[in-house]
Amino acid sequence: MRDNGRARVILALLLLTAFTLVTLDYRSGGSGPLRRIGNAVFGPIEDAAAAVASPIGSFFTSLGHLSGYKHDNENLRKQVQDLRKQLRLTDSDRAHLASMEKLLHLDQQAQFRVVAARVTAVGSSLGFESTATIDVGSSSGIKPNETVINGDGLVGKTLSVGPSTSTVLLGNDPNFHAGARMEGSEQIGHVDGGGRRPMTFTLLDSQGDIPVGTRLVTFGDINNRPFVPEVPIGHVVSVQPPNGALTRTSTVSPYVHFSSVDVVGVVVAMPHPPARDSLLPPKPTPSPPPSTPAARPTPSVTPTRSH
Amino acid sequence: MRRPLLAVAALLTALLLQVGVVNRLRLPGGHPDLVLLALVSLALVGGPTYGAVAGFAAGFAADIVPPADHTIGRLALVYALVGYGAGLLEDAEERSVLAAVGVVAVGSAAAVVLFAGVGALLGDPRVDASSVGHALAATVLYDVVLAPFIVPLVSGAARRVEPVAAY
Repeated sequence: MRDNGRARVILALLLLTAFTLVTLDYRSGGSGPLRRIGNAVFGPIEDAAAAVASPIGSFFTSLGHLSGYKHDNENLRKQVQDLRKQLRLTDSDRAHLASMEKLLHLDQQAQFRVVAARVTAVGSSLGFESTATIDVGSSSGIKPNETVINGDGLVGKTLSVGPSTSTVLLGNDPNFHAGARMEGSEQIGHVDGGGRRPMTFTLLDSQGDIPVGTRLVTFGDINNRPFVPEVPIGHVVSVQPPNGALTRTSTVSPYVHFSSVDVVGVVVAMPHPPARDSLLPPKPTPSPPPSTPAARPTPSVTPTRSH
Repeated sequence: MRRPLLAVAALLTALLLQVGVVNRLRLPGGHPDLVLLALVSLALVGGPTYGAVAGFAAGFAADIVPPADHTIGRLALVYALVGYGAGLLEDAEERSVLAAVGVVAVGSAAAVVLFAGVGALLGDPRVDASSVGHALAATVLYDVVLAPFIVPLVSGAARRVEPVAAY
């Protein structure tokens, strides 16, 4: 034990500074200059770290797969190792390419103008927020409050934007809220990220009916910020009983796996609004329960309704 | 003067590994807190003043590193207190690894509770019984599992660069 007056004075000063920081940032609503400094300073480092981390990761995976080969001589072993490493890298490249193609597919259907990006960092210490850093920023034309999508549907929206990186609020964060529309109808409501609980959809009309399996798309906001219309969100898996409430609430299974997003696109412009319900994946087949991963629909074109 | 440099290197590495690698692993429940592990290791060698200053600096960096999205200053506050507390138990790590693991366990639990408490005062919608419960259990468990490896490593390095504590 070694405590003295000086240590206590310094701790008191530090705590006072921290409280001041909290107060200032809270009053500025999280849009103060410190966040931008953090983006500008740490963003490029995270970029570089992600570039280093992924080949090292795949290298160690390939080494793990090599452990079975023991009978061969040193030369052959090295050859196998090199080949395995190549195979691993092409595997990850192929996965990257596939998600990129999926994104391009949705992008072309919708005529969104999309800036493609990769996720370089996720979350924070102590892990309460569901956010991600992506490797594009204001130099690529990204602004705060823009829709982020991938080949499966809605990923989230941009928060703060640095020169070469941006922070994305993912759809499963409790701070995430978006206007949503039920497919094939004018019924609107809002989806809310639930954190550890599932995503919910609340229908504004208390008399309205939410059939299980209904697919939801974004409703779109004024000037398409933060959300452009018609982006698939997910489908309804269960509906809570009304209990005399003014709104109906249901549980939603989102199309995007938020914990494993990698390739995403930021919608920077939308010259023509897409046709109603044109971007939805095919309807899940009614026989299996909708929550199983096998029932997850793959995106493709569904018959479109004209305006 | 070499120990502050080591602290910067250790805490920055921990922070970047946390957001770039650890948080992307799909572990059940939650994630270990590498910054807290590095901080406790350093404070156990450097003492309360060193721990408080290192904790504040690490917390402030963790507050502004993207993609953090909570009120800036929350982690600085929490880690300054944890660093100070661990510094009061200076040299516990030298006596036994078990004592160091105990400090890590208490420090992790305190960090989650304090962080959630300040969040609740500020009306953070991310703080609720379920998220705090999960974060508490996962952070303490994973940190305790990692402590026997990380604490001797970082504390040892801190002791080697400056054998006689200057604080």
